Amino acid sequence: MGPLEGIRILDLTQAIAGPYATKLLSDHGADVVKIEHPDRGDVSRRMGPFPDDVPHRDRSGMFLELNTSKRSVTLNLKTATGRDILGRLAQQADLVIESFRPGVIEGLGLGSGRLEELNPRAALVSVSNFGQFGPYRDFEVDDMLAYAMGGVLSITAEWGREPLKIATYAPFFLAGGVVAAFTLGALRGSQTSGAGERVDISLHDILATSMDRGGTNLAAYEYSGSLYFQRQESARSTALPMGVYPATDGYVHVICAPMWWDRFCNMIGRPDLIEDEHLAPNLLNVDYAPEIDAVFYPWLLERTKQEIMEAGQAQGLPVSAINTTADVANDPHLAARDFFHDIEMPGGGAVGLPGFPFRMHGTPGEMRPAPALGEHTVEVLTERLGYSKQDVAVLAQRGVV
Amino acid sequence: MTTDQPRSLPLDGVRVLSQAIVWAGPFGSMILADLGAEVIEIESIRHMSPTRGSYRQMPPELMDGQTGAIYLNRDGSEGFWNRNSGFNFAKRGHQSVTVDLGSDDGRELFYGLIREADVFIENNAADVVDNLGISWEALSAINPRLIMVRFPGFGISGPYEHFKGFGATMESVIGHTMLRGYRDSDPSQTPAIYHGDPNAGAHVATAVQIALIARERTGEGQLIEMSQAEAVIHHTSYDLIDYQMNGRSNAHWGNRHPSMAPYGVFRCAGDDRWLALAVPSDEAFARLCDVMGQPELASDERFAGAAARYGHQDELEPIIEAWTGQHGDRDLMHRLQAAGIPAAEVVHQAEMFDDPHLLARDFFIEVDHPDAGVRRHPAPMARFERMPLTPVRGPAPTLGQHNEDVLMGILGISRERYEELERDQVIGTVYTEDADR
Repeated sequence: MGPLEGIRILDLTQAIAGPYATKLLSDHGADVVKIEHPDRGDVSRRMGPFPDDVPHRDRSGMFLELNTSKRSVTLNLKTATGRDILGRLAQQADLVIESFRPGVIEGLGLGSGRLEELNPRAALVSVSNFGQFGPYRDFEVDDMLAYAMGGVLSITAEWGREPLKIATYAPFFLAGGVVAAFTLGALRGSQTSGAGERVDISLHDILATSMDRGGTNLAAYEYSGSLYFQRQESARSTALPMGVYPATDGYVHVICAPMWWDRFCNMIGRPDLIEDEHLAPNLLNVDYAPEIDAVFYPWLLERTKQEIMEAGQAQGLPVSAINTTADVANDPHLAARDFFHDIEMPGGGAVGLPGFPFRMHGTPGEMRPAPALGEHTVEVLTERLGYSKQDVAVLAQRGVV
Repeated sequence: MTTDQPRSLPLDGVRVLSQAIVWAGPFGSMILADLGAEVIEIESIRHMSPTRGSYRQMPPELMDGQTGAIYLNRDGSEGFWNRNSGFNFAKRGHQSVTVDLGSDDGRELFYGLIREADVFIENNAADVVDNLGISWEALSAINPRLIMVRFPGFGISGPYEHFKGFGATMESVIGHTMLRGYRDSDPSQTPAIYHGDPNAGAHVATAVQIALIARERTGEGQLIEMSQAEAVIHHTSYDLIDYQMNGRSNAHWGNRHPSMAPYGVFRCAGDDRWLALAVPSDEAFARLCDVMGQPELASDERFAGAAARYGHQDELEPIIEAWTGQHGDRDLMHRLQAAGIPAAEVVHQAEMFDDPHLLARDFFIEVDHPDAGVRRHPAPMARFERMPLTPVRGPAPTLGQHNEDVLMGILGISRERYEELERDQVIGTVYTEDADR
C-alpha cells in the first residue's frame, strides 16, 4: 500500500546509493523486484553490522536498512535462461534501474536498443561511480574515494591536518537521495512521452555538485576566485561564539551571528551585556573573542549538553548538543515523533531502523522488512511470468535461480 | 548557453511556489527546476532572502572575509543580492516574484498564486507559516489539489519543533559530528560538513514527485512534512544499527572503516596533497605491496589476512605514508587504479574546472545571468537521453524580475493595480532601505 502502488520497478542495483533510491520508492508502495545473485546476493548482505557480530546474509544491518519493502528474486544472469527471465521481467516494468559496471547491462540484453524492443515505454536509469563515459569510468572507488574526487573531502579538515571523511557510507546515502529524485523524473518523462528514457547518473557528479560544500563552493570560486568554505584555523570570524564548546557531560555546538548578540546575552543570563559599551560595538572584531569566552565558559561548565541546547534554543540561538550514537537512539524528540521503526529480522529478533525521511500525511508509506535472499523468487516468477512451482524448482536445480 | 526554446521536460506543467532557502531549499528547488518544473520563488522586498544575503548594507569586513567569496568580485554595492553565486547557481531557471506576505495585499496575491499552483515548498522556521496565515489548513482550503512540503530542521511536532538548526546544528544533534571526529582529538577539531542540506533538498524533490503521482489517483493534494534531521539520520545508519544490535556507541572513526584495512587518507608529496585509499581484499593488498616495491609486506604476519591488517593499522599506516609521501597524489591514483586498487586523489575544488573527467562529461555548463555575466556552474546531476536537461531553462532571476509575468500573466491583475502595488511597496525589484532578514 502507498502512493506508488502499482508502479513496477525492476531493481538491479546493489550496495548503497541505488538501493537507497529504490527504498524510497518501495517504502511508498512501488513494487520493487530486486534481482540478486543466487549465491552472494547484494554486497550489502556482507557489510554488517550483524547481531552479536555473527555474519549472516539475511541479518546484515546495511541490507536490512536499505531494502525495506522490496521483493528479492535470485537470478543467475550468467545463464541464458536467467537473462531471458530478466528480459521478461523488464517487459512488465515501468522502470529498470541498474548499478552494474558500465557496459555490463548491454551484455545482459537490456542495453540501448534491446530494452526498447522489449518495452518501449520503460525508463532505464543507470547509476555508476563515474558515469557511463569519461576517462575515470572504470576506476575502482568506494564512498570515501568518490567523495575525495568530488572535491569536498579536501576542505573537511582541521587546519594543517589530514582531510577527515564523513560517516561510513554517508556520501552514497546522499547520492542515493538525488538518484531517487531523478529516477522519478525519468519515470514521469517516459510515461508522458510514451517513448522511454535512458538516464546516466554518476555518483561522482552528484557529490561534486551537492550543496554541502560542492556546487556552492565551485560557484563561489567562479564568482570571486575564492572558495566560500575553506580549511580554517578556527571557525570563528567574529568575536561571537562559534563552534564546539564543552559541557559537563560532553560537547555542544554553538552558532552566534552578530545580530544575535542579545539572544546570547539572554541565554547566559547576562542581559546587562547587551548594551555593554566595551563589547557591543566590537562584535565583528575577533580580537574580542577571548573576553566573550571568559563570560561564556563558566556558564557552560555548570550545565549538561542537553541543558545548554535547550537554553540556547529557548532564545532562538542555533545551539546543539553533540550527541553520541547512544544519545540519538534515546533522543526525546525522535521518540516523541516515533521516528525509529522496529522491524523483525529473518531468524528472529527485531531491530530499530531509522524511519521515514519524510512523512506524507495524505498517502503515508509503509515500511516492511527487507527480504531474505530469494524470498520472493517463486512468488514473482509464478505471479508475473506464469511459471509453476515445479518450473521454479527445476530452474533452481539448474542453478538459474 | 541558456535558451528559451520550447522542448519537453519531465516536469512540464508542474507549477511550484518556493520559499526554499539556504541551502537545503535551493538544492531541492534546483532539482525540480532542472527537471522542468516552473518554479516561482516567493520573495519580499521588505525581508531579505537569506539565500541572497543577510544584511541590507554589506559590512565591508564581511565582504573582505568568508562571506565576500560568495559575491561576484566581492562587490557589495547595491544589487549585490542579484550577484550571489550560490543563489544564481541553485535558482537557475526559476522565476522571482516579490509579494510581501506580511501585508494583506501581498497575502491575497499569494493566495491567488496558490490557486494556480500544484506545489508549495517551504523551509521557514516551524512557526512562520502560521504567523503569516499560510498554514496548510489555510492553503489547502484555497486549493485542495495543492501539495505542500514543509521541511524545517526538526519537523513540525515534538520537543525540538521550534529549534533553530543550520547544517552544523543538525549534524551534531543526529550524532554525525561525534562519529566523524579525528581519532586523537575532541570534536573541536571536527569541521562542519553541512551534509543535511543537500540531503533534505534531494528528499523534497523526491517527495514532491511521489505526491504528484498520488494526486493523479486521489485527485487530492496533501501535506508532506520532513525533519531535515531525521532525513539525514539515515547517513549514520551503520553506527545506529550497530548500537541497536550490539550496544556499541561508536565515535571518532577518523578515516577508518569498520572492516577494511588499510583504509584512509595518506599524505603525498607537495603541499596539502593527499591520497584516499581503500583496500578491500588480500589480493588488492598484495598488489598494493607490489606497487610500493615492498612485496614482503603481504606475507608479514602482522598484515597477512584482513583481520591481522585491521588489528595492526597503527603499524601499517606509517609504512604506507612513508611511501605515498614520496609521490604525487594524481600519479599514485593512476598507478594504483591501473593495478586494480581503489585509490583516489583528494581533488582540490579550485582544480576541478580543469578536471579531465569532469570536462569530458560536460560537468560545467555556462549560464548567462543579466547581472553576473556568463558563469560556469555544475550541470543537472543526471544525463537524460530523450529529454535532455541541458541547457537549463535560464539563469537565476533577479529580485522580482518576474513580477509582471506572474502577477499580470498568471493572476491577470490590471496594469493599474500593478502600479499601485509597486507604489505601496508590496512588490518591487529592490530591497527597501529598512529590509531585514
